[in-house]
Amino acid sequence: MAWKSVHWDEVKEGDELPTQKRDITRTTVIATAIATRDFTPVHHDHEAARKSGANDIFLNILTTGGLIGKYMTDWSGPEGQLKKMVIRLGATCYPGDTLTSNGKVVKKYTEGENHLIDIEYNLTVAAGPHAWGTVTMILPAKS
Amino acid sequence: MSQGVYEKLQAMIGEEAGPFEAPNEVNRAMIRHWCEAMEDGNPLYSDEKYAGSTRYGGIIAPAQMVQAYCMPPLWPKRTMPDPQARAVRMMDEAGYHGVVATTTSQEYFHPMRLGDRLSYKLKFVSVSPEKTTRLGTGHFLTSEYTYTNQKGEVVCLQSFTILKFKPAV
Repeated sequence: MAWKSVHWDEVKEGDELPTQKRDITRTTVIATAIATRDFTPVHHDHEAARKSGANDIFLNILTTGGLIGKYMTDWSGPEGQLKKMVIRLGATCYPGDTLTSNGKVVKKYTEGENHLIDIEYNLTVAAGPHAWGTVTMILPAKS
Repeated sequence: MSQGVYEKLQAMIGEEAGPFEAPNEVNRAMIRHWCEAMEDGNPLYSDEKYAGSTRYGGIIAPAQMVQAYCMPPLWPKRTMPDPQARAVRMMDEAGYHGVVATTTSQEYFHPMRLGDRLSYKLKFVSVSPEKTTRLGTGHFLTSEYTYTNQKGEVVCLQSFTILKFKPAV
């Protein structure tokens, strides 16, 4: 199978990444908690989550990072390389939420031999922004 | 009282702990479990033939996975010295019971290849003066994590900031 990657030369500042949506279920919250090796009870134990003041079990931060990375490389293709990720954390993501990812290229530049872009992104849930920030990627260049 | 804990926390700035070794080497099963949960189909993480044809020369782990490798096992329990955890306990004792993670960042340097053995060190780097937020009044605490591989190459630098606060009533 041939894999396509976005090239730096084709990208313009202001380009928007296609929106992605993911329905978050209890299975999602628990499967991602275990896959990220995070056994903090609020990510799998409903009672513990309620005692902590949350409405239900909720998505852990490692998963938020994992989903942001997936969103970026789904768009760029496998040759796009994550260089830096800043995540500001907002509303909790609960089972029943639809997590909606959006992103926009805000800067295109070079540093030494690297061809870079900065993407401003946000992941939102019903209650508002769940996570937002900037990701820097190194893209392959034709030149 | 609050001034007292702030000064104690300021005195802790620069405290380090580690290195702590990851329980497992970078391996295909953990990568697959991660990709399955995230629904991440990037062939660099799963397709030997594709990954072998790239500059990596083989399968790599998702960069954001670095922290997952270094999570302490559920059993046997490990108690590791952790200046940020100690700072959190000190703030609990001073009445700042609320906690929320506010910002985390990761910068990536070397890829994680199958068989790599990771370890990390952490450092308590800052405590903010008392601030009032919509959640309550408290202090922002920041720690930095340095992840390295068995060759001593830096894989990732991470910073993690939490707010410890007295909940607003």
